[in-house]
Amino acid sequence: MEQKNKNSKKPSYSRFSQQELPAWKPILTPGWVIASFLTIGALFIPIGLVALSASDTVVEIIDRYDEDCVPDAYSKNPESFIQDPDIKKTCVRSLRVPKKMVAPIFVYYQLENFYQNHRRFVKSRSDKQLRDPEAKNDTYNCFPEARTADNKPIVPCGLIAWSLFNDTYKLSTRGKPITIDKKGIAWKSDTKVKFGSNVYPKDFQKGGLIGGAKLDEKVPLSEQEDLIVWMRTAALPNFRKLYGKIDIDLEAHETVKAEVENNYNTYKFGGRKKLVLSTTTWIGGKNDFLGVAYITVGGLCLFMAINFILLYVFRPRRLGDPSYLSWNRLPIA
Amino acid sequence: MKLDETKSLDLQPQKQESEPPSLHNSSSHRSISSNSLRANSIKEVGFVDLRSKEVRYGSRGGSTSMSMSQREISDEDSRLVYINDPLKTNEKVEFSGNSIRTSKYSVLTFLPRNLFEQFHRVAYVYFLVIAILNQLPQLAVFGRFASILPLTMVLLVTAIKDAYEDWRRHRSDWIENNRLSSVLVNGNYEQKKSKDIQVGEIIKFSANETIPCDIVLLSTSDPTGVAYIQTINLDGESNLKTRYAKQETVSRIHENEKINGVIKCEKPNRNIYGFLAYMEIDQKRVSLGPSNIVLRGCVLKNTSWAVGVVVYTGMETKVMLNNSGAQSKRSLLEARMNREIIFLSLFLVGLCTVVSICAGVWLRRHRDELDIMPFYRRKDYSGEDVDNFKYYGWGMEIFFTFLMSVIVFQIMIPIALYISMELVRVGQAYFMIRDDNMYDETTDSRFQCRALNMNEDLGQIKYVFSDKTGTLTENKMEFQYASIAGVDYVDGLVLRPLMKVQVDRELVRLSRSGNDADTKTGKQIYDFFLALAACNTIVPIVVDTSDPVEKLIDYQGESPDEQALVYAAAAYGFMLIERTSGHIFDSERKRMSVILGFPNNTVKVFVKGADTTMFNVIDEALNLDIVTATKAHLHSYSSVGLRTLVMGMRELSSQEFGQWRSSYEAATSALMGRASLLRKVAINLEKNLSILGASGIEDKLQQGVPEAIESLRTANIKVWVLTGDKQETAISIGYSSKLLTGKMTKIVINNNSKESCRKSLEDALITSSAPRTGTSRDDANLFALIIDGTSLLFELASKCAVVLCCRVAPLQKAGIVMLIKKRTKDLTLAIGDGANDVSMIQKADVGIGISGQEGRQAVMASDFAMAQFRFLVPLLLVHGHWNYQRMGYMILYNFYRNAVFVLVYALFTAFTLSSAINEWSSVLYSIIYTSVPTIVVGILDKDLGRASLLKYPQLYGAGQRQESYNSKLFWVTIADTLWQSIVAFFVPLLAYWKSDIDGPSIGDLWTLAVVFLVNLHLAMDVTTWTWIIHASIWGSIVATIICGNLPSCG
Repeated sequence: MEQKNKNSKKPSYSRFSQQELPAWKPILTPGWVIASFLTIGALFIPIGLVALSASDTVVEIIDRYDEDCVPDAYSKNPESFIQDPDIKKTCVRSLRVPKKMVAPIFVYYQLENFYQNHRRFVKSRSDKQLRDPEAKNDTYNCFPEARTADNKPIVPCGLIAWSLFNDTYKLSTRGKPITIDKKGIAWKSDTKVKFGSNVYPKDFQKGGLIGGAKLDEKVPLSEQEDLIVWMRTAALPNFRKLYGKIDIDLEAHETVKAEVENNYNTYKFGGRKKLVLSTTTWIGGKNDFLGVAYITVGGLCLFMAINFILLYVFRPRRLGDPSYLSWNRLPIA
Repeated sequence: MKLDETKSLDLQPQKQESEPPSLHNSSSHRSISSNSLRANSIKEVGFVDLRSKEVRYGSRGGSTSMSMSQREISDEDSRLVYINDPLKTNEKVEFSGNSIRTSKYSVLTFLPRNLFEQFHRVAYVYFLVIAILNQLPQLAVFGRFASILPLTMVLLVTAIKDAYEDWRRHRSDWIENNRLSSVLVNGNYEQKKSKDIQVGEIIKFSANETIPCDIVLLSTSDPTGVAYIQTINLDGESNLKTRYAKQETVSRIHENEKINGVIKCEKPNRNIYGFLAYMEIDQKRVSLGPSNIVLRGCVLKNTSWAVGVVVYTGMETKVMLNNSGAQSKRSLLEARMNREIIFLSLFLVGLCTVVSICAGVWLRRHRDELDIMPFYRRKDYSGEDVDNFKYYGWGMEIFFTFLMSVIVFQIMIPIALYISMELVRVGQAYFMIRDDNMYDETTDSRFQCRALNMNEDLGQIKYVFSDKTGTLTENKMEFQYASIAGVDYVDGLVLRPLMKVQVDRELVRLSRSGNDADTKTGKQIYDFFLALAACNTIVPIVVDTSDPVEKLIDYQGESPDEQALVYAAAAYGFMLIERTSGHIFDSERKRMSVILGFPNNTVKVFVKGADTTMFNVIDEALNLDIVTATKAHLHSYSSVGLRTLVMGMRELSSQEFGQWRSSYEAATSALMGRASLLRKVAINLEKNLSILGASGIEDKLQQGVPEAIESLRTANIKVWVLTGDKQETAISIGYSSKLLTGKMTKIVINNNSKESCRKSLEDALITSSAPRTGTSRDDANLFALIIDGTSLLFELASKCAVVLCCRVAPLQKAGIVMLIKKRTKDLTLAIGDGANDVSMIQKADVGIGISGQEGRQAVMASDFAMAQFRFLVPLLLVHGHWNYQRMGYMILYNFYRNAVFVLVYALFTAFTLSSAINEWSSVLYSIIYTSVPTIVVGILDKDLGRASLLKYPQLYGAGQRQESYNSKLFWVTIADTLWQSIVAFFVPLLAYWKSDIDGPSIGDLWTLAVVFLVNLHLAMDVTTWTWIIHASIWGSIVATIICGNLPSCG
């Protein structure tokens, strides 16, 4: 008998093959739905409020200087101003601190209408070359800033490096200079992995057209933090990049004097330049969006929950009422 | 039914008990048959000659063998085979060797051929074009490797699957090709490998050996040249069939003479039941037919040896020519899905056009600034000359942007969908095959999935076309009633092979006394059972038992009706012992005759057939009472659902017999119009018959059929039963199977002329507009009318829940299916078990074969096969519903999942298609991050439990109304996708607005967000959470996080 069973083609029984595995079958009962909507509402609204207040504590000073730092004589043609190496570019701005700013205060430069995410731009770099001194000839993607006129590889090559931002800021308050700490502004992973400590700039910014800052050929790339920050291309055409950190508090209503070296040419394409001083909290910089979003979603959920409750109280419906089945409602046509 | 034959045979009516009938007095079966041979020898001379001249024997498919016979072999359509002279045979034309190759690929051809086959999918071509575009330096959006990876993976998985299947075929080919058989070489039989056998060689094989190629029989161990073969490998029929060697060659082999002759036969073709050839031997021309050829794959049985000459070898054998797979059908869902994919493609083209236009506008507006713009830098100052750098003009830039956007947004078309669908179908097939509820104990057979691409169609069936015999019924015939000479005898016979049977006492007494020819009734009963025992195609086979003295007789036949009748005759003491060869088959006459020579030198012709045809040839004037009484009995038999047959006979004078013999011989040796001549001969013989009686055979309903039909009807599936039975039989079966109920309004249409039929159809249409359920029964005549009355018939039929079609020929069955298919978009399912259902099964959207009694032809043509009709209920209501619901959801989800990842980042990159998401994420997204859960859910999720689906068959309506996949759902899904995509894109973007976030970081964030989103979306749609679903959904989220943090991926 056993032998016979062995040869039989009868499928051997298992809960899996019979599709009878134990399973959780959640049913969206009114209780469940209302409870989950209420929970979401009850969770999200406080989160939103906290996020909003956190964003509110962030103090931010934004100063647009690209227009004001062009002398009136050149206001019609700012490009001739910015391209003339003989004109002094220094420009003094005074910033008012609206509220007390607690250290650390971050100094950013903000560029607008600058497409760092443009296809031509993001592609024009050589990660290998940045990492590895042996790979200095790996400039395949770097055109038009790949090689010098005498065909020597440019290190670092490519449009991104070439267009390195070169405005500089000096801050002072009540006559005392504020030191801007420019160490540690780049990502650790970048300085450690992506930029070689034995790769040195070579033949950089030597071509006919100067795009931006020059690099000290004696400093390895891994320590050129401005470059590293710049080369982490921004996601959006309006972006901030970290310039440095200030380790002192700034009192409310204090005036900060900013000496700006206005070197970077954004006039050609209508780009804007701003100097930003900002504190941070756990939620990051000043941004009300998250808080508002949480409150909106939470509020909607609460609203829905209340509607469901009302519906449940005034027009209740028995769960699993078979008279609602399609074939019970209409005779089969 | 196949009972239309004229034949000669030896018959020994005899009782099982020791008391023998008066015809012969002998105690041993063997000696009786030999006695009878001798005793009949005077009259049998002509018959012996006859059987060797016999030409054609077709077990089925009358139309095919008819057409075969009327076509004569022309020179260009023929091949010449010189018997025992392979060299000469292969001299002019080299015939193919006997090695077979069922494998598709060799090591060398695998890559190109497999790729070629895979690229028949248009979607793959699309992805290939995109991958190639991406290789152009101007367009390189992704890295080389990343861009071809998804396509490569999909192709690779399929290729590995194909390669494995092909390897198994290679192995079985090798075994086949190296099998040994004995071949005549220089007068001696030598062992030769099967692959070395050549056309023209003579081979010898012994009992239970499988024949390695198609051969024409020359001789067998039987002195008359009969060989019994089993064709189970060919068509799955396990009963024995007879094949004959020609008398001209039989003796020569027996006397070890050399045979020299030529066979001229048709070119290889795939018709298993047809063969047309003649043999020239000793300046005599001998015609050969399907009964003289033994096909590759057959097994020799009950014959100790046989010798034949090879005519077709290897791939040219009929079985190999038949091996081409079933035509592929495409499921309704997939057809709709393809349409939706075209929509998506149009959408994609639209999107890309918008992006490229915007890019053009942007370039135009900034055209003066492009030269030195730090992020564009059109001019290249590095060289001596100041050139444009990678700038191809405004128009070209727009064009390139268009192509690039196609590459970037290609993810909108789900590449993994096709392979996911295949995997899901494999999983669904696994569950269907393994389902306990679709396993049949008695035949030990599981459900079979023969086509893998239409599982989901099972959930949308609106029409079921069912054969009756063998499908609704068991096709195990039991002889129940006999009306002999107008007297109704009710039997409770249970006739199983070789078993004791209950018999009607009175009948037994009468039949025994009948031998004395004393009483008139006795004589008639004697003749009646003689007709039952003789007039058939049954092959008696002697089976040894443990007791050496006792031997049992097993009746093997192709028609279960005949088996039942012969067993019944045996139970009454009329035992068929041996049969000689020689048959005629003709489906047009719907009856069969046998001419018997008796020891007392009388010759009688016995005719058996369907009542309609029989009453045409019965001389009613002869005994009017009996005819009327028989007609009344027939009516009552058929109204209880019995299958009826009418028997008649006539005594032939020796003059008549001689006349018939000469005309018969002339007809058989005729080269032109042989079939029609033979028919004429037969018709001349079958006239002025006196009625013997009628038989009623019961065909029991299969277990669970009434319940199954009721369920199907509740599920709003229209059940049409197409049967060859007569109206009364069909109606009674209809009632017993709950197909018809008392509550229904029945509309019966059985008119004979066009006009009256049209009229009654119109009337019926008016009536049917009022009541909801109706039954229409249509007689064969109506179907002759189909072309005329199509619209009416369809309109009427579509209003009826149940339609019973009686007296339907196989081709009409297919015609009915085609009619419904043409008129509606509803899915049709055809279920049947016999060769006569094959055309219907192939024509219907879903074809189901019942693997039962009548052989495997239906199964071979089917998409699914099962053992019992009642399995249709779990198959459609449970698996069909699940399959459809799962597949529909999976397709929609795949559209959603892929399209949601098309982010509108281009808005913020000056429309330049740079992507924040790193290329690996975008490539791995659809094939790794999110693919496993879809497939798992597509295989495992259940929206409703088995019990509810069976309890409420109405739930099946969801599939019929296309509730899981329709254009509305598609557009809703797309709108939902758009919304979700926008949310997933803008929430992170706004949260990091004006911050120092960099591209790759926000890209990773987007990837994570979307992976979370689509998996949560899936989780919210899952109804049945098993641990496997839990593992796959949460697992892929974890996998994405891990992979995103690996330096190699991120």
